Amino acid sequence: MTETPTPILTLTQVRKKYRGREALKGISLQLFPGELLGFFGPNGAGKTTMIRCISGLLKPDSGQIRMQVSANPDASTTARLGLVPQNLAVYPDLTVQQNLEVFGRLEGVSGRVLQERIKEVLDWAALKDRTRSLVKTLSGGMQRRLNIACSVLHRPSVLLLDEPTVGVDPQSRERIYTMLDELTAQGAAVLLTTHQLDEVETRCHRIVVIDHGTIVADGKLSELVRQTIGRPHRVFVRFDQPYLKELPAFSFDEHRTSAKCAIDSMKELPQVLAVLKQLDHEPSQIDVRSFGLQDVFLELTGRSLRE
Amino acid sequence: MILTILRIMYLRLRNNPLELLLVFVMPVIFFSIFAAIFSNGIATGSDKKLRIGLVCAEPSHAGTELRAFLEDNSSLQCTSLNDSKSSQSLNDSMVSALIQDAQNSGRYDLVVKLPCPVPTDAPDNPSSVTLVTDGQNSMAVAMVTSIVKAFFSQKAARAFAEKLFKLQQDGKGAPEVQDESSSRRTHSDSEMPKPEDGSFFDAPKTPADFFPESNTNQLMATDEYGVVRAGETAAVVPSRWSLPKSVNLHQPKSAKKGDQDVAELSGIDDDMNILVENPQAMSQENPRIAMYAAGIAVLFLLFSATGSAAALLEEEESGTLDRILVSKAGLFHIIGGKWLGIFALGCVQISVMFLWAEMIFQIQLSKHLDGFMVMTVCTSAATASFAMLMATLCKSRAQLNAASVVIILSMSAVGGSMIPRFVMSDRMKEIGKWTFNAWALDGYQKVFWYQSPVSSLQTEVTVLLGSALVLGVLALVFSNRWKRG
Repeated sequence: MTETPTPILTLTQVRKKYRGREALKGISLQLFPGELLGFFGPNGAGKTTMIRCISGLLKPDSGQIRMQVSANPDASTTARLGLVPQNLAVYPDLTVQQNLEVFGRLEGVSGRVLQERIKEVLDWAALKDRTRSLVKTLSGGMQRRLNIACSVLHRPSVLLLDEPTVGVDPQSRERIYTMLDELTAQGAAVLLTTHQLDEVETRCHRIVVIDHGTIVADGKLSELVRQTIGRPHRVFVRFDQPYLKELPAFSFDEHRTSAKCAIDSMKELPQVLAVLKQLDHEPSQIDVRSFGLQDVFLELTGRSLRE
Repeated sequence: MILTILRIMYLRLRNNPLELLLVFVMPVIFFSIFAAIFSNGIATGSDKKLRIGLVCAEPSHAGTELRAFLEDNSSLQCTSLNDSKSSQSLNDSMVSALIQDAQNSGRYDLVVKLPCPVPTDAPDNPSSVTLVTDGQNSMAVAMVTSIVKAFFSQKAARAFAEKLFKLQQDGKGAPEVQDESSSRRTHSDSEMPKPEDGSFFDAPKTPADFFPESNTNQLMATDEYGVVRAGETAAVVPSRWSLPKSVNLHQPKSAKKGDQDVAELSGIDDDMNILVENPQAMSQENPRIAMYAAGIAVLFLLFSATGSAAALLEEEESGTLDRILVSKAGLFHIIGGKWLGIFALGCVQISVMFLWAEMIFQIQLSKHLDGFMVMTVCTSAATASFAMLMATLCKSRAQLNAASVVIILSMSAVGGSMIPRFVMSDRMKEIGKWTFNAWALDGYQKVFWYQSPVSSLQTEVTVLLGSALVLGVLALVFSNRWKRG
């Protein structure tokens, strides 16, 4: 019998009105140690408000945010929390080393411990060679890595990242996710918001989709696809002219120039192709497509433009 | 294309109210301030009068006459510093205290010590009119000197005419008057004596021309108008000096000493000297430079302080403030830390300015170190609180920049950082009291100009520290918008 892990962060029915509108409408969520949770939603969905509520910058109108930081129940909720804001929240006119020192001190780390942590973090963020460089002289990717590094000097058990990979090249993005993987491997829980679908799909252990202040989906990608779309793969067939006969397992559009068939697994593909082999005339196009987060997202949030 | 570029400029200007404020409103504000200062339009509605304080140590006939003459002059606004009708005489220390209070109040351009009766045991010692200046308004000295001279000229002319008439009545006939200057005294009472060059007396060429016998250890100088300039080392003269002999009416240069009649006539006027004193000048050097240093320092202190406080808004915009707030630092730490930083920066900034002034212009900083430190601490504290309040009130750096330019330049113009406060009308001075600049400059003025002790800075210290406290608390209150939760 496996033991159910204890969530390190629990949100229960969190509601928050922000700037005159209800930004969060009863959010309930759990975050577990070692988990990388992707928080995904359209602009204005409430992602940043939720991060600000978790970090204590905003107070929820109702509901509860509980953080299991230590055995001490009186410990502050922010005692082991790290926040990486969306913008570069570092001092551009200080050096890398100086930024790490001041943010380390602000988190209560000092002396030899701080110097050791800085060494570790510089290595972790691949900034060892740029310790004396002014931040404004660094590349965008380096600045982003430093932005994250400044938030982990106190070894937070929960790290909140608000779109940490905006405007960075693929190499730096890869490096950032490697850094996050290392953190989760050490037991930290990471919650990040992003608009990068591929990152969430491939990197996050779990995905939460939020829209209009409500969580509309929560789970692994395959679970989300199954919950929202159904079968995860689809075969599309197109014809030059309307195909008037019936085709088993396929459904036609109203013009009968295209048909589609949903399958659970690629293993079912030979059977579908066998059906297509029996066609009277040859189709102009055959596509096999697997559903991803974008399909789930559009299915859940619609195609209309947001803020 | 050019029209499109113009349209872009127009649209950007139209959509930016702060820029509109700076472009159109700021010049109007400044024009109004300077117009008010120079036209006295909001002060009295009339031409500015010189404010003269009158001290009468001991009632005398000459003093009463001179008082009436000065009070009748439309360009002067005379105020008695002591009860002129009291028969009680004041000793020197009481007179000095009265004058010092008057100067420290800043309400007088000049104090006139009216002549006392000539002591019976020293008939050769002529009584004198003493003009006591603080060195700020040198024009006042020149103007009042001329008016006092006119008084004595008229008085002498009247006496001469009476004496001449009496001599004729006695059958002695009119004396032959060979002295051109003496002949001018026979003119009618209403006619002012006027030399060829249009001035009332020959302008001194060098101090040594007038003080050949004087002790030149004390610092005092005259400018081309013959008025007192304290602390200007080009001409080092005593702080207490008398007008040149050419204006000492009891000793006309060209009178024939052997002529008994003329001697009688020349002796008819009261023996009278016009002395000009600057009590502060005795131990001060370049107080005017100290005032400029203070004025400029406070102006730039306000700008640098708001610039430093603007970092708070930059941190908010970049998210750094959020990161700090999530750390172990609370809002009080952030506001307090920044206040302390701006305060320290202000102290250093003013100190650098005065150290430079000491090195280059010898403002005698070391002699006034205690007063300087008190004023610097208080000014920096008030400025730091003001800057923090501005930063907590403004929503963005751009807003703070625009607001601080308008407010600081206005405060500096009204408060005396740009234009000396003594040239302002009373109303403008009162308005200036709503600014840090005025209180700070008044304090530095007391320290460097009036050589006042630290205890005399009570009012300035109270106002500046009180402002620091009130504005600091307000800054904390308004910073609550960043408070966690």
